[in-house]
Amino acid sequence: MKSIKFKIIAFLSFSILLSSCDDDLNVEPTGATNQTVEQFYAQPGAYKQALAGVYGNLSITGTGGAGSSNLGGIDAGTSQYSRVLWYLQNLTTDEVVWSYENDPGLREIQKNIWTSSNVILRGMFSRGMFQVALVNEYLRQTSDAKLSSRGVTDPQLIAEIQTYRAEARALKALAYYHLMDLYGKAPFVTENDGIDFFGPEYNRQQLFEYIESELIAILPELKDARTNESGRLDKAFANMILAKIYLNAEVYINTPKYQECLAKCQDIINSGYTLNSNYLNNFTADNNISNEMIFSIDSNGDTTQNYGATTIIINGQVGSIEANGAQFGVGGYGGALRLRKQFVQKFNGTQFDNDARNTIISGNRSVEITDVLDRDQGFILAKFSNISSTGTPGQSTTFVETDYPLFRLADVYLMYAEAQMRRDNANADAASLGYLNALRVRAHNGSTVGNISSANLDFIIDERSRELHWEGHRRQDLIRFNQYTGGSYNWAWKGNAANGVPISSNFNVFPLPLAALQSNPNLTQNTGY
Amino acid sequence: MKTIYKKLLFLLLLLPFNMLAQSTLSGVVLDSKTNQPIPGVNVIVQGTQNGTSTDFDGKFQISKLTSGSKIVFSFIGYTENVINYTNQNSVTINLVEEANQLQEVVVQIGYGTVKKKDATGAVTTLSSEDFNKGSVTTAENLLSGKIAGVSINTSGAPGSGSEIRIRGGSSLSASNDPLIVLDGLPLSNIGVNGTTSLLSSINPNDIETFTVLKDASATAIYGSRASNGVIIITTKKGSKKLAIEYNFQYGSGKAFNKIDVFSANEFRNLIFQQYPIDNVTPAQAATNQGIRNKLGNANTDWQDEIYRRTDFVDNNISIRGNVLGLMPARLSFGNTYQEGLRLTNKFDRNTFSLNLSPSLFKNHLKINVAANYSNQKSRFADGVEGSAIRFDPTQPVYDANSPYDGFFEYYNPNLPGNPYLNPSIANPVAQLLQTKSFGEANRLYGNFEVDYKLHFFPDLRAVVNVGYDRNSGNSRTNRPTTARTGFGNNNISLGTDFYAENVAVNSLLDGYLVYKKKFGKLDFDATAGYSYQKFENSGLEGYDAVVPQAVQRGFVADNVILIGYFARANFSYNDKYLLTLAYRRDGTSRFGANNRFGNFPAASFAWKISEDLFKNSTIISDLKLRLGYGITGQQDIGRTLFYLPQYNIGNVNSQYSFGGVPIPIAQPSAYNLDLKWEETITYNAGLDFGISKNRVRGSLDVYYKKSFDLFQANAPFADGSNFSNEGPQNIGDLSIKGIELGIDFALFKSDKFQWDVNINASKYERRIEKIASGLPVFVGTNGAGTGGTSQIYQEGYTPNSFFVYKQLYDESGQAVEGAFADLNGDGTINGNDRYIYYNSDPDLILGFTSNIKYRNFDLAFNLRANIGNRVLNTYKSTGSYYSQLINGELQNTSPNVSNTNFETQTGEQILSDMFVENASFLRMDFATLGYTFPKWLEGKASLRLFGGVQNPFIITKYSGLDPELTGGVDTTIYPRQRQILFGANVKF
Repeated sequence: MKSIKFKIIAFLSFSILLSSCDDDLNVEPTGATNQTVEQFYAQPGAYKQALAGVYGNLSITGTGGAGSSNLGGIDAGTSQYSRVLWYLQNLTTDEVVWSYENDPGLREIQKNIWTSSNVILRGMFSRGMFQVALVNEYLRQTSDAKLSSRGVTDPQLIAEIQTYRAEARALKALAYYHLMDLYGKAPFVTENDGIDFFGPEYNRQQLFEYIESELIAILPELKDARTNESGRLDKAFANMILAKIYLNAEVYINTPKYQECLAKCQDIINSGYTLNSNYLNNFTADNNISNEMIFSIDSNGDTTQNYGATTIIINGQVGSIEANGAQFGVGGYGGALRLRKQFVQKFNGTQFDNDARNTIISGNRSVEITDVLDRDQGFILAKFSNISSTGTPGQSTTFVETDYPLFRLADVYLMYAEAQMRRDNANADAASLGYLNALRVRAHNGSTVGNISSANLDFIIDERSRELHWEGHRRQDLIRFNQYTGGSYNWAWKGNAANGVPISSNFNVFPLPLAALQSNPNLTQNTGY
Repeated sequence: MKTIYKKLLFLLLLLPFNMLAQSTLSGVVLDSKTNQPIPGVNVIVQGTQNGTSTDFDGKFQISKLTSGSKIVFSFIGYTENVINYTNQNSVTINLVEEANQLQEVVVQIGYGTVKKKDATGAVTTLSSEDFNKGSVTTAENLLSGKIAGVSINTSGAPGSGSEIRIRGGSSLSASNDPLIVLDGLPLSNIGVNGTTSLLSSINPNDIETFTVLKDASATAIYGSRASNGVIIITTKKGSKKLAIEYNFQYGSGKAFNKIDVFSANEFRNLIFQQYPIDNVTPAQAATNQGIRNKLGNANTDWQDEIYRRTDFVDNNISIRGNVLGLMPARLSFGNTYQEGLRLTNKFDRNTFSLNLSPSLFKNHLKINVAANYSNQKSRFADGVEGSAIRFDPTQPVYDANSPYDGFFEYYNPNLPGNPYLNPSIANPVAQLLQTKSFGEANRLYGNFEVDYKLHFFPDLRAVVNVGYDRNSGNSRTNRPTTARTGFGNNNISLGTDFYAENVAVNSLLDGYLVYKKKFGKLDFDATAGYSYQKFENSGLEGYDAVVPQAVQRGFVADNVILIGYFARANFSYNDKYLLTLAYRRDGTSRFGANNRFGNFPAASFAWKISEDLFKNSTIISDLKLRLGYGITGQQDIGRTLFYLPQYNIGNVNSQYSFGGVPIPIAQPSAYNLDLKWEETITYNAGLDFGISKNRVRGSLDVYYKKSFDLFQANAPFADGSNFSNEGPQNIGDLSIKGIELGIDFALFKSDKFQWDVNINASKYERRIEKIASGLPVFVGTNGAGTGGTSQIYQEGYTPNSFFVYKQLYDESGQAVEGAFADLNGDGTINGNDRYIYYNSDPDLILGFTSNIKYRNFDLAFNLRANIGNRVLNTYKSTGSYYSQLINGELQNTSPNVSNTNFETQTGEQILSDMFVENASFLRMDFATLGYTFPKWLEGKASLRLFGGVQNPFIITKYSGLDPELTGGVDTTIYPRQRQILFGANVKF
């Protein structure tokens, strides 16, 4: 009897012990920084916060500060959107060299000897496609069905979310525009594709058609130029991308679209932007408030810390000899960035001595850079600054306040003039001259001494560099002018030779990164790589 | 006492007592040698439940006897004694201590033990007398170099952790650490602020045995965590006799090797030679004179300045005994104080350990309680070696005019705040002395085990083990505003005020049943059970209060929960043929519902050949063949909930502003629904042998392991398809094959002279069979630049193979700067010309230990060697250039520059194969000499005095500081110190 009791007790205790606790394996995230999808979207403000995530990818590499990254295969800070873009559009040209060639992939980029295993090329490709994935996720999470399933009924919020969605779509178009320009192709992924979907390869023609139709489709849903809250994009942003793809349409799809470009430029010019009377105020710690700015990428020494383009440009400007960090409100990198001779020559001549755009510091430096690693060689630049237009330094000397000027009015003026000349196959007409001279007058502090009376395309390519150097345009411009590959224009260290040598025409687009090719069987490599 | 005991029995267990009056026997049990009474001896009437145990005076009384009953007296460590009951009234029983304990070594195998001679897997046990001598601060160093196939690599920092590898490690990017089980509790490897390593809070003096399970047939019982082997640690328990032991050790250490740099005078000469002012243009002369003017007047050896002589003091006292004759108990206190070589660095640990292991109800109920508390306080020191070897040796340590607390620094006296010059190196002595970095951790850990042999069914035991480990700690770092290494903004130094804390809790509940029965010639035992373990971690994220707008945030890490069902059966036929079958089904919270559970079976067979073929051999005393097969897993991928779609929220610095209002960004994080276990299949064949009455004993093992579905932490995702371009995926395969041999020789074995020697050797080869998309993965730093790499994972090669450029040499054998073989023949030297050149795995690992006892003297030492391991010497690869003499200010560099004559450091040159060196070495970890006074204090105690040297020598051709490092890339390490030791052991 008693032993039976014991057996029962023993049996019970063991069955309790062994009873399945398998449900315990469903662990929910407990951290404030990690939430399940539904935990997150249950919060007020989630839709705007996720939109900040989409915009944030232009400026921030991860959620854990400047050293964190949601991408792999490349140093976290280096993978920042505007920085990799700047590396590929500027460092690969006559405008600048970076002294620290030990940085992975850097030397190959600035000496035009890159291969498909280059980490910077992978960084840009992955950063752009991450933007696409973020937008697709945003569109999935803000569909009507999702909103109603979560009980979102506030009509004002629903209306706002429609605008958010249109802005997200514009940012996806921006990413595809960059990938089309740089790589000539990209995997095409939409919000209807699930996780781990292998996007089909879209060539330039397909990407062009997508970007064009997408932007035209969302234009009515975007806010009018200059009416959205700061930091967010508007109709002028979409028109700017359209103007860009039309201007470069001959390169992209072998079809001139200069008339379309002119129309878009005119649209933007008519939307109320004005040139900032001080050229340099477009590159200061408070450049986001410049009336000329169509869209700038946010940066903040405290709340938006990043090793992005403006942080490395301004720190990089600080000279190895000059140690002039205080001039720009940063600590500096001991001479990271210097000018190549051919860029310096764009300002040769006394007419540029008082040009506000000429911020070149020559000191006792040689204009020639015979050894890229010697940071005392080559002139340096003083265009960007972490000090505001009113003289207030940024909050941090490590992370700058200065926004990256993605699109500004001066570019539109130059695009207008160029499109007009190309459309008409003629020199600048009166309207174009007016725009070009507006930039000259501004550069000369209101004086007309720098004004020109005629302009051809050769003038335009140089003037674009004088006005827009270090702003992420140069490679695209040189390609449009057939001066990038081949030997029509050589610059220091082009093709890995001190005086520059011709490079093969396949270098007009970058190779798809090896990792992208091998992880997506739909992708094929560009010719010549 | 006895009646209370019986009442307790009656009340608590409601046992059926037969009240029939029968004959009664009383008596006393004595140790045959000492004639001292033995408490706690089991007294059982054979074949019945009738039994008792002796009291504190060794006395017992047992009733219900019938004439002809056989009464069995047993006690652990003594030979069983059986008497026939022939109606005696009283007896005196003498128990003989078991002479041949070695034969009956008991091996921990997880959820149970097995006699060493019956073990079927590749298992090695070391008990305290086998442990390494010398100064041992962290427990794992007790077995460095002792076991074939186990390598332990510990840095020179006091209390620092070790890289422990069993058979090389079977993962690529998941953890390669073995599972460590302490008194039945698998330890967590969550880092805790203020601690120096996982095992640093354990007092090595409290450890009784280490058992290393190497092959899968042995480890599979730990299923999902067993792929890299298992180390089972048991702590010391109480004893039948009262014993008090006190150990004291003192050591005085110093650095014994320095990195080769230019001395102050050599440096001056070099600067004068490199920056001439004669026969150059006037402009050049002016520039060079400016550089020369940067030289100082001091003669400083910066490595001497950052290191010091150290003290090591270790005190331990333990009391073992048998409380009330019922409860074997052990109590110990320990204090270890160890200074590091770097100025200010120290480690101070106090431990308290209590173990109770009572047996109740005639040994039916065994309880083991282990409670340990440890407190460790550390002062940490920054790794300033890199600054010390580069700092200009002509500059002084101190500068009376310096605003940096009187330390010499490069600064601009003309600017407000005296900002330091950028670039320039910070004074390493100042960095050490101005940085106050303290850590403190408190750890409470232990287990409560109940082992109950069922009264009504004594073939069956039920065991419940509850384990608990709570480790809480904090770290704080302060630097004054006069330190240049603090946080600075706008040329204003704000110093440092950093704080972080966390608490990691690991709790365990195991329950299992053990059935043991003999059926004729077949011995059978079976174990089946369940295990539940939970890991928690929470605290305050580290933050520096001086950084403007910084806020400290709490965090709660995702819990990790592991659930296991396990079973094992051992069959032994005729004590010759042994078969073990094991199975575990494990679940983890790390994976999604589809892949959550994994199954891990194992089987092993052993044949005691000596019983069949060499029964009467005088040469072969023991020979056993072992064959094992098993599947094990690995679930520790460092990520907790990667299978789950989640959103990440930006921190205070990761916001984006809309309308001027910063909003913390929210982004979906990458996930992989299909994550699952890594799986490793192991085949093992072994031979255990004993020759000449086991004067020579050893084991030879060969094995082949193959891991499937390896985690690759950075496997690429198709771009745009997920929320990253890469993440953990189960893609790779890795194979390891190896052979290992361990032999113990009893060279001399007489009363006066004993000499025991252990030799072990192991060789293994790891090869990557498959990785994601066949795409190479670049790993290992190159010592320079942002994120540069020097090693590769590539299919067909060993992990961490060096991936470098092939240096070209001129006719005289001199390396030509910047000249490399164009291996792909495309006319350009770029990343495509790198090739695979050796790897960091050794070809052969050797260990040797010698213990000699002559009369009252004892002498012990060990030797360890690695053969064929390669190291990239980044001090040379990044420093062998004249251009390195200036970076803003003058800086010292590798004297190897005089050999290379290289001018400029480039991304290619730092990856030249000429800097990958053969780092084979032979080192002695310790040598100790002791003398024992066996009859100290009129025979009441014994005293052993000893002296020794820790780390007496290392022989190597490697040109860097120390060839023994992890990962194969030498980026300056915390040097190991050489210590002179002496100490005393007193036993009462």
